[in-house]
Amino acid sequence: MVSLSKFFNPQSVAIIGATPKEGKVGRAILENFIAKFKGRIYPVNPNYDEILGLKCYRKIRDIPEPPDLAVIAIPAPSVPEALIELGEKGNRAVVIISGGFRETGTKEGAELEDRIVKIAREYGMRIIGPNCIGIFDNWSGVDTFFTTKMRKPPKGHVAFISQSGAFATALMDWMAYHGIGVSRAISYGNKVDVDDVDLLEFLGDDDKTRVILMYIEGLKPSRGRLFIEVAKKVSMKKPIVVYKAGKTGRGSRAAASHTAALAGDYSVYKAAFKQAGIIEVDSFDEMMDVVRVFLDQPLMKGDRVYIVTDAGGVGVMLTDALTSVGFEVPLTPPDLREKLRSMLPPHCIVDNPIDLTGDTDDERYVRVLEVLSKRSDVDAIVVVALPQVPGIKGVFVDYIAKIKEESGKPVLALTIGSEYSIETSKKLQERGVTVFESPERLARALKALRTYSLYISRHLK
Amino acid sequence: MTTMSPREIISRAISEGRFKLLEHEAYSIANYYGIPTPRAVLVKTPEEARDYADKVGYPLVAKIVSPDITHKSDVGGVKLFINSREEAYNAVKEILENVSNRAPGARIEGVIIYRMAPPGLEVIVGGIRDDVFGPTVMFGLGGIFVEVMRDVSFRIYPITIEDALEMINEIRSSAILNGYRGQPPVDKYALADIIVKTSKLLAENEEIEAVDLNPVIAYQQGAIAVDVRVILRHSGKQH
Repeated sequence: MVSLSKFFNPQSVAIIGATPKEGKVGRAILENFIAKFKGRIYPVNPNYDEILGLKCYRKIRDIPEPPDLAVIAIPAPSVPEALIELGEKGNRAVVIISGGFRETGTKEGAELEDRIVKIAREYGMRIIGPNCIGIFDNWSGVDTFFTTKMRKPPKGHVAFISQSGAFATALMDWMAYHGIGVSRAISYGNKVDVDDVDLLEFLGDDDKTRVILMYIEGLKPSRGRLFIEVAKKVSMKKPIVVYKAGKTGRGSRAAASHTAALAGDYSVYKAAFKQAGIIEVDSFDEMMDVVRVFLDQPLMKGDRVYIVTDAGGVGVMLTDALTSVGFEVPLTPPDLREKLRSMLPPHCIVDNPIDLTGDTDDERYVRVLEVLSKRSDVDAIVVVALPQVPGIKGVFVDYIAKIKEESGKPVLALTIGSEYSIETSKKLQERGVTVFESPERLARALKALRTYSLYISRHLK
Repeated sequence: MTTMSPREIISRAISEGRFKLLEHEAYSIANYYGIPTPRAVLVKTPEEARDYADKVGYPLVAKIVSPDITHKSDVGGVKLFINSREEAYNAVKEILENVSNRAPGARIEGVIIYRMAPPGLEVIVGGIRDDVFGPTVMFGLGGIFVEVMRDVSFRIYPITIEDALEMINEIRSSAILNGYRGQPPVDKYALADIIVKTSKLLAENEEIEAVDLNPVIAYQQGAIAVDVRVILRHSGKQH
């Protein structure tokens, strides 16, 4: 098998169907490569000698070298011939953007798809697609995402594998807006060859990727076992977060037995995720919450969460949210209680949630966090920093970040409000402290971190 | 009881065009994989029933075994609470007569006699072959928990004992397994063992489409699969 690295780290790329015509896919893709790709670019189009300042090749065989990567954006009926020419040329990695294959539901489409699979096998080529938006790679500059009315996210460490091209595009745009960095995103369309399993394996070994996010509708038949095997290995290196769409199952499954009638599609996927150490999320909100926590937080070693707050009510909401997902919010033990008592004014509450009350200043936070961060019976700290209280100047932001770095424990923050809150939140996030507005969302995201941490500690042998 | 290997049992069924194994065949395959079932004997005559009754133990159940009879009770093919050699003789005699009257022409393999399992907590272990993931095992509590609440958990082969214990504890009603209203806790390890073995049974026999162990009766010590159904794939069906 040819490794996938030619897709993500090519030295040269041929763009079959490159065109100077505005609004065309072949133009958008060429522009993407010109903007960011550092390797050699070979536009191919029989009608031009030059496109956007680059020499254009009329035929694939005219390209001066076998291109590492080929991107095909021409009408479906011409794809097989282009593939053969690429195969002859020595190219072994192809992204087929073109639609018009099995997804059309027509006999012609299906036959065309079978033909390209056959050609690819003959030459030992790997294919991503057809009918896909392909690859967005922030590190190598490979970018076939031809959608122009979108922002592209900054370089970073989240990889995204998506069965839906439109969702991949939307999510990239959303992540750009929220400043979340992406390593590589892939949407494989009809996945006649490269699929979730191959991509997971590749991203597992990719040092630019720290969290893998997947949107799955369904795996290819019989690929499940290998998917679990690969995911198990990758999970030990980095978290895999999955959103499984199409949970309601297929009513059409012939119920051969009692068990089959109860199984449906989704229950088996759920089991697979669990066995492979994959973190499953149930909503778009949770998906991005969990990704943010995984990006910034260390593993969580136990269930005990301490809350430091300047608002009693929010402390209680958080306690409810955390306990309802299975965390402990333990009562402050006597020695800690004594210590806190000695350093806080008498009206502060030293029981967990530790309530510094509305007249707090930055200083109180700093002192309490200092004590908590050093204790082995504290597994995570949540700082509630409602910025509306007059005494807070904001210097505690740096301190919270410092405590988080030094303690090796998850330290998260919760702020609720308008500009002041958003400003505090931004500063904290920039320093790696994950911030939430919703106690419930914080609790669920932290729970995902704990579930993953438990999986790791159980399987480290 | 039959000493045929799973392979022989399956080939024979397929050659006879049967896609559901007979009771004694299913028991035999389960036993081959170490899944406990009631001790059972397939007898052909009332005399044989009398000879084997003591060895099997009481109270006994006697059931007609025929590939052509689905609803055994409807044709008078089931007798429960048999407590002696003579009762066993009479029960089998009656069953054979009933069946020849009410289902004439049905192929008769014999009558299976086995000891009724003492009451305990009823659970279900089921195995299916998933299109994507292959052999998959389900666990749930019997009765309304599965039927109404659909309170079940799944794991995919290969399944370790730890996986199986985790799936047992994962169902919402798992507290019932720990004992309630004075009932002792049940042997989760024995159940986990059955789960692991069921997954192996499926993995090693490609022709088997599904297995239902329903019910498995769990005790403070041990568990036993009282009813075992093995369904084969229809030939030509691709997975």
